[in-house]
Amino acid sequence: MIHSNRFQTICQWFTAALFSLPLVGGLAAEEKSSLRIGSPGDPQTLDPHRYTLNVEEHILKDMFLGLTTMDAKGAIVPGSAESWDVSSDGLVWTFLLRDNAWSDGTPVTAEDFVYSFRRLVDPETAAPLAFFLYGIENAREINGGELESSELGVFAQDSKTLEIRLERPFPYFTERLFYPTGYPVPKHVIEKHGSDWIKPENWVSNGPYSLTDWKPQQAVELQRNPHFYEHGNVKIESVKYVPVADALAGYHRYLAEELDIVGDFPAGEIESLRESHPDQLQLSPLLSTMYLVFNVTRAPFDDVRVRRALGLAIDRDKLTRKVLRSEEIANASMVPPMVPGYKPSITTNSPDLALARSLLAQAGFTEEEPLKVTLRYFTGAESKQVHVAIAAMWQEIGVQTSLHNTELKVHFSDLHSGDFEVAQAGWFGENNPEHYIELLWSQIGSNNYGRYQSAEFDGLLEQAKNTVGQKEREKLLQQAESVALNEFPVIPLYSVTVRNLVNPRVGGWYTNPRNSHGVRYMTLK
Amino acid sequence: MARFVFKRIAFMLITFWVVISVAFFLLRLAPGGPFDGDRRMPPEVEENLLKAYNLDDPLPIQYGRYVWNLVRFDLGPSLKHHDFTVNELIAAGLPVSLSVGALALVIALVLGIPIGCAAAFRHNSWLDNCLSSTTTFGLALPPIVTGPLFVLLFAVTLRWLPAGGMDAATSLILPSIALAIPHAAATAKLMRGSCIDTLRQNHVLTARSKGLNSLRLAIHHVLPSAMIPVLSFLGPAAATVIAGSLVIEEVFSLPGLGRYFVQGALNRDYTLVMGGVVVYAALILMLNFVVDTLYFRFDPRIRSQSQAQAT
Repeated sequence: MIHSNRFQTICQWFTAALFSLPLVGGLAAEEKSSLRIGSPGDPQTLDPHRYTLNVEEHILKDMFLGLTTMDAKGAIVPGSAESWDVSSDGLVWTFLLRDNAWSDGTPVTAEDFVYSFRRLVDPETAAPLAFFLYGIENAREINGGELESSELGVFAQDSKTLEIRLERPFPYFTERLFYPTGYPVPKHVIEKHGSDWIKPENWVSNGPYSLTDWKPQQAVELQRNPHFYEHGNVKIESVKYVPVADALAGYHRYLAEELDIVGDFPAGEIESLRESHPDQLQLSPLLSTMYLVFNVTRAPFDDVRVRRALGLAIDRDKLTRKVLRSEEIANASMVPPMVPGYKPSITTNSPDLALARSLLAQAGFTEEEPLKVTLRYFTGAESKQVHVAIAAMWQEIGVQTSLHNTELKVHFSDLHSGDFEVAQAGWFGENNPEHYIELLWSQIGSNNYGRYQSAEFDGLLEQAKNTVGQKEREKLLQQAESVALNEFPVIPLYSVTVRNLVNPRVGGWYTNPRNSHGVRYMTLK
Repeated sequence: MARFVFKRIAFMLITFWVVISVAFFLLRLAPGGPFDGDRRMPPEVEENLLKAYNLDDPLPIQYGRYVWNLVRFDLGPSLKHHDFTVNELIAAGLPVSLSVGALALVIALVLGIPIGCAAAFRHNSWLDNCLSSTTTFGLALPPIVTGPLFVLLFAVTLRWLPAGGMDAATSLILPSIALAIPHAAATAKLMRGSCIDTLRQNHVLTARSKGLNSLRLAIHHVLPSAMIPVLSFLGPAAATVIAGSLVIEEVFSLPGLGRYFVQGALNRDYTLVMGGVVVYAALILMLNFVVDTLYFRFDPRIRSQSQAQAT
C-alpha cells in the first residue's frame, strides 16, 4: 500500500511536469516585437575589415553605412556620401559626406574613412578581402608591405570631403564601395579598446543599428541606433540574427514561428510550399553564374573540338526546368542575365547532338574508343543531381563520364592546383560583366581554374580595363567574352535562385538579385 | 589502490598526448587550408593571414608552440571565428553539450534500468516480449532520425517545445530525449540480461523462497549485482553520448561544442578542431578513468587480480 501511494505520487509529479512543459516552452513575449532572421551560419567576425562571408555581410550592412549603400530593392544609392564627382579620366572620385554620427554620438568625418581604408590595407590587419579595394592607388603595395599606409590614395580634403584616387578607371567603383571592406570603423573606439572594440559593451557603428549582444552560435542582437541620420524612418526596434547551420533545422524553426525570415531551406520543400505557403515563398534569381570549367592544359581538353562537343551536348533548359526546378535561369554567357545593360554575344541554349558527335569523331573518338571524362563537383544540395544529368547528356554523344565528388575545400584546392579534367565552378557577387568575364583572364592567377590563355581575349580585356566610359567598356567586354566562349574553355550553365521564406508580418521585404535586405527598410505588423 | 590509480593516470596522459599529436598532424594533411576557398587570394593577403596566425612557421615549431600553449591551457585564437579565442568558444559551447549529454544519460538510465528489470522479472511473458521488441526498435532509432521527427511533432505541429536554439531550458528536452533513446534501449537490454543471470543465483532463489516480495527482492538482492555490467557500460555510453551530440546539435541548432567541431573541420579551423579534440579526448579519458576506478572499488575480482599481479 505504501509503495502504491509512492507510485501515485511519482505519477502525479511526472504528469504535472509533462503538462507544464508547454507553459515554459515557446517564445518569450518580447521576442514577438523584434525581427528574427535565420542566418545560414554563425558570423566569423563582426569586424568589417576582417569579414569573408555572406553571413557577415548581411549583418554588417545593418550596422554600418559605407559611402554607398543599397535601397530596399538592391539598387546602389548614396550612403554616408550624399553625392560624388568623378574626374574626366575616371581616376579621382570626390565624395561629399552627409551629416551622420556614430552610435555614441560622435560625428562621422572624412578622417574616419581615411583611417578605415588605411586600416583595411595595413598588413597588420590581415584583411582577407583587402584586395576588393586594390583599385585604389598604392593599395596593393601597402598590403604587400612595400609602402606605408599613409601613402594610400585616400585623402580628407576637409571633415566632409573625401578624395579617392584609383590606379585605373573603374566605373563600377560605387558598387565595390558598399561591401563591408568599404565601411568606416570608429577610430576613436579602436584606439581606446584595441581588438576589444568588437565586444558588445564597446560597440560603436554608424549604421541604422548597433550591436547589443553576440552569443556565438546563438544570436547576434541589434538595437536601433538613435544617432543614425535617418533614425526616424527606421521602424523596427530590434533585430535578432539566429544562426541556423542546417537548412532543415532553419526550415523547421520558421514553421514553428521561431523565425520571421529564413533562407536556404531544402529545395525539396519548394513544391509543397507553393501549395501551403504561396504568399511566404520567395524565389528570385541571384547574381551568379554556375559553369563547367575545362583544364585546357590537359589532353584531350586542350582540343577545342572536344570542349565544344561537350558544350553542345548540354541542354541547359532541361537542367533548370526538369532537374533543378527552382526557377534557375539557363544561361550560355558567363555574365548573369540580370546584369543590366550587358548583351552577351552568345545566347543560344539549344544543344546540337549531331554536331557534337561529329566533332568528337574529328577529334578521334569512336564508339570503340570513346571519350572518357572525369567530372568533378563539390558536395552541395543540388550538385549531385545536376552533374548526374550532365553525365547522362554526355552519354548521348557516346562520352563515358566518371563523377568525382569532394567537399568544397578539397574541390577548390584541386581546381587551384590544376588537378582536374572538367569541374563544377561558380561565381557570385557583382552587378557588372567584368566581374565574371575576367575569370578567363590569364593575369588573374589560379582563379582562372582551367588556365585558359588567349592573347586576343587578354588584349580586349586589358583595353576594356583602361576604358573610362561604361558603354565602350562593356562593348569591349562583350567582344572579349565572344572570343573566349567560341573556344569553350568553360560551359556556362545557369544562374542560381535564392530561396527565402518571409512571414507575412514582415513588410518592406523585396526580392532582388543581390539577395540584400536592409532591415532599415522593413516594418513589422 | 594508489598504484592502480597512478598507473591509470600515467596511461591516460600518454594516450592524451598521442591523440593530440596524431590529430595535429592529420589535420594538416587534409587538403585545403583555413583561408582557401573558391577564390584564391592574392599572395600578399595570404602571407598576411598566415603571419597573423603564426602559420608561416615550420610545422614542428607550430606543433611545439601548440603543445607549450596547451600545457598552459591556452588553446589559441580561432582561425575562423576571428573575434574569439578557442578557450572562449569552448567555454560557451561545452556547458550546452554537457547539459544535453548528461540529461540524455540520466533519461537513458531512468528509462533503461526499470524497463530491463521489468522484462527480466517477467521473463518470457508477454510483457518481456513487448519490452524486448520495444528496446530493439529503440536501438535502431538514431538521433538523426528521431530528432527531426520530434521537431515536426512537438515543435511544428503541437508547438509545445522549441524547434531549435537555446532560448529556454526547455530547448534541451527534445535533443536529450532523441539522444537518450538508443542508450535507454541498450541499458534496458543489458539490465535485462544481467537481472536474469542474477535471478538464477542461489541467494536470490533463497530470498524468493522465503516469500520476499518482488520490489524488495529487486532493490536489495538483484540490483546491486545486476548493476555492475551497467556501471561498466556507463563510461563508453557517456563517450558515445558526447560524440552523438555532434549530430544532435546540428539538428537542433544547439550552440554546443559539437557544432564548432563540425564547422571547424569543414572550415579547416585548425585551432578550433584541436580544441574540440582536446576537450573530447580529456572527457572520454576521464570518464573511463572514473568507471575503471569505480569498477576496481566495487568488483572484488578485479581488486584481487590487481593485488595478485602486484605480489
